[in-house]
Amino acid sequence: MNKRFLIAAMLILALVGGAVVAYEPGEDLKVGFIYVGPIGDFGWTYSHNDGRIAVEALPFASTVIVESVAEGQEGPVIDDLIAQHGCNVILTTSFGFMDGTLDAALRHPDVFFGHASGFKRAPNMMSFMADFYQVYYLNGLIAGALTETGKVGYVGAFPIPEVKRHMNAWAMGVKAANPDAEVHVKWIYAWFDPGAATEATNALIADGCDVFAFTEDSPTVVQVAAENEMISFGHYGSQMYQFAPDYVVSGQAIDWGKIYVDFLTKIYEGTYTTSNLQHVDYWWLMTQDAVFPEAAPGVPINPLYIDALKAYMIDDPTFGMISAYDLHNIRLAQFSDPGVTFDPFQGPIMDRNGNEVVQAGFWLSVDSLITMEWAFENIVGPWPNEPE
Amino acid sequence: MSWESWVVETISRALAFGTPLLLATVGEIYAERSGVLNLGVEGMMLMGALTGFAVSMGSGNPWVGILIAGLVGGAFSLIHAFATITLRANQVVSGLALTMLGTGLSGVIGRAYEGFPLWSKLGRIDVPVLSKIPVLGPAVFENQSPMTYIAIGIAIIGWLVLFKTRIGISIRAVGEDPATADSLGISVPRVRYLCVMIGGVLAGVAGAYWSVAYRTAWSGGMTAGLGWIVIALTIFAFWNPLYGLVGAFFFAAMRVLSFRLQNWLPPELLKAMPYLLAILVLIVVSRGTLQKRMGAPSALALPYTRGED
Repeated sequence: MNKRFLIAAMLILALVGGAVVAYEPGEDLKVGFIYVGPIGDFGWTYSHNDGRIAVEALPFASTVIVESVAEGQEGPVIDDLIAQHGCNVILTTSFGFMDGTLDAALRHPDVFFGHASGFKRAPNMMSFMADFYQVYYLNGLIAGALTETGKVGYVGAFPIPEVKRHMNAWAMGVKAANPDAEVHVKWIYAWFDPGAATEATNALIADGCDVFAFTEDSPTVVQVAAENEMISFGHYGSQMYQFAPDYVVSGQAIDWGKIYVDFLTKIYEGTYTTSNLQHVDYWWLMTQDAVFPEAAPGVPINPLYIDALKAYMIDDPTFGMISAYDLHNIRLAQFSDPGVTFDPFQGPIMDRNGNEVVQAGFWLSVDSLITMEWAFENIVGPWPNEPE
Repeated sequence: MSWESWVVETISRALAFGTPLLLATVGEIYAERSGVLNLGVEGMMLMGALTGFAVSMGSGNPWVGILIAGLVGGAFSLIHAFATITLRANQVVSGLALTMLGTGLSGVIGRAYEGFPLWSKLGRIDVPVLSKIPVLGPAVFENQSPMTYIAIGIAIIGWLVLFKTRIGISIRAVGEDPATADSLGISVPRVRYLCVMIGGVLAGVAGAYWSVAYRTAWSGGMTAGLGWIVIALTIFAFWNPLYGLVGAFFFAAMRVLSFRLQNWLPPELLKAMPYLLAILVLIVVSRGTLQKRMGAPSALALPYTRGED
């Protein structure tokens, strides 16, 4: 009897706790963040947590976090955040959380959801991404100008469209500054493997490369390059700078807070509801200040290299003879301009197998950007799933 | 590019990458030769990597860091020794638990050390005179970590002790036939404790090499599976430190080449290459009469209780 009473009481509690009253604009927001890695990764999750700190500054929002959640395990964590912590907004920050987030969005129609780097949405679930490709192009301009061997290297995590897009943008920047330079590529098949990143960088050095960019969640490439007195670009820039202050020229930095604050403010003001998010897809770039080049906090280019960039002259089809430094800053201004007057992926572009991948007069759509498999013409090295 | 530079680059990098593999493999060979399988290598290496980094940073001396990392690795391995030798717990389960514990514990404690470069790192050296030899000099004696030579020395001493001394005979006897060893007056638990601790110390030192010499930074989980390669190398080496020497550097050379050859061969295949070769060698060598000579300790992974045989 007693036991049965207890179970009934627990059930009622669970139901009451789990039921979220529909959100009215102007009410406080409790935002639950689900991270795939530890905040201490100094990369992807670290940057999302920086965005969360920006959310905390909003007078109407508070946050709860769960870190190091395995992909596929997000469902119960979301239910718990809603039932136990009373969250009315859930933001999940890894591609693998997509299906679990969508399921949860259907289970909890009165809760707002946002999912990073995916493409599935619901009336109460938006998708969001801040992408680095413009920043990689700017970094590439610098790399092309500063290489002495005419070979630059990229250590890639996995041969997936996101990484390929960044490599291509970097390679295009390299070519704009240095038409003869080669971009050498090595894959390590891991997001985090310092040993593999070390040996891949050494292999690139043995191939003759002297400037490096990468996608891997540790400062390994920066450190190995610096040991050999070679320059590199930080990934999630400012955290990497301190590992080699004399050799990190620039890098890719991100501010997720821009997207988070915009999304939450629009919920608070009543612009977004739990029935109109089906087509809300943030794809934020430099115009929105969501991404930007950065060597150290607030420093886009390491001052040690500015003279060399000013001295390096480029024969640009649009601007004529222009220094790498000036061209970098013009492109930076064009990317940041609300009208965006330049894009690396504007046609005509040929891939390295001679296919026309972007027609003259066209810019690539977001759909083409996120499914990119081709390799730009100056890329040397393996390219799994490359179109013939 | 000349063939000399290929040989030099490959050997030079293989020595750097293979050093922690060799250290930990010699340690695991000792543990397994005494009859204790320790799958906790990855966890012990991570504890060593964190300790080495933290102590080097705090003391400003990487050698102190490596030393303390060895002690911490040894102390950490006692958990496994106590569980499997004294309590006679399942060695597989206890070893896996040690890896999980080491990964988790080093991850949590190590948060305070994430994202800092190590300025008091262990530098590389050129060996005088020898580095002037053509090809061999730059490949083996130039710009290498002193730990690499220490690891090679430990492997040779490890082989001498195991196969040329009375202590070595006792260790192997305990791993082959603990009941007989016991009846000859050898203390089975004492030998096994000692060997598991040797494994822990060397895994700790191997981890410290990873964080203060090879990479000079700490991140949670930074060994990224090296400890599991060590388990495979122990078998690959037929429980012999000298073969371990060959195996560790051979595996490392394959790993290094897997990046250098990416321009010509599919990277997916290259990534699997070291493992495929390990399996191939095992298949070839374990056939027929050779099997007897492989050297797997007969009592491996079996808890010993006096009078139960």
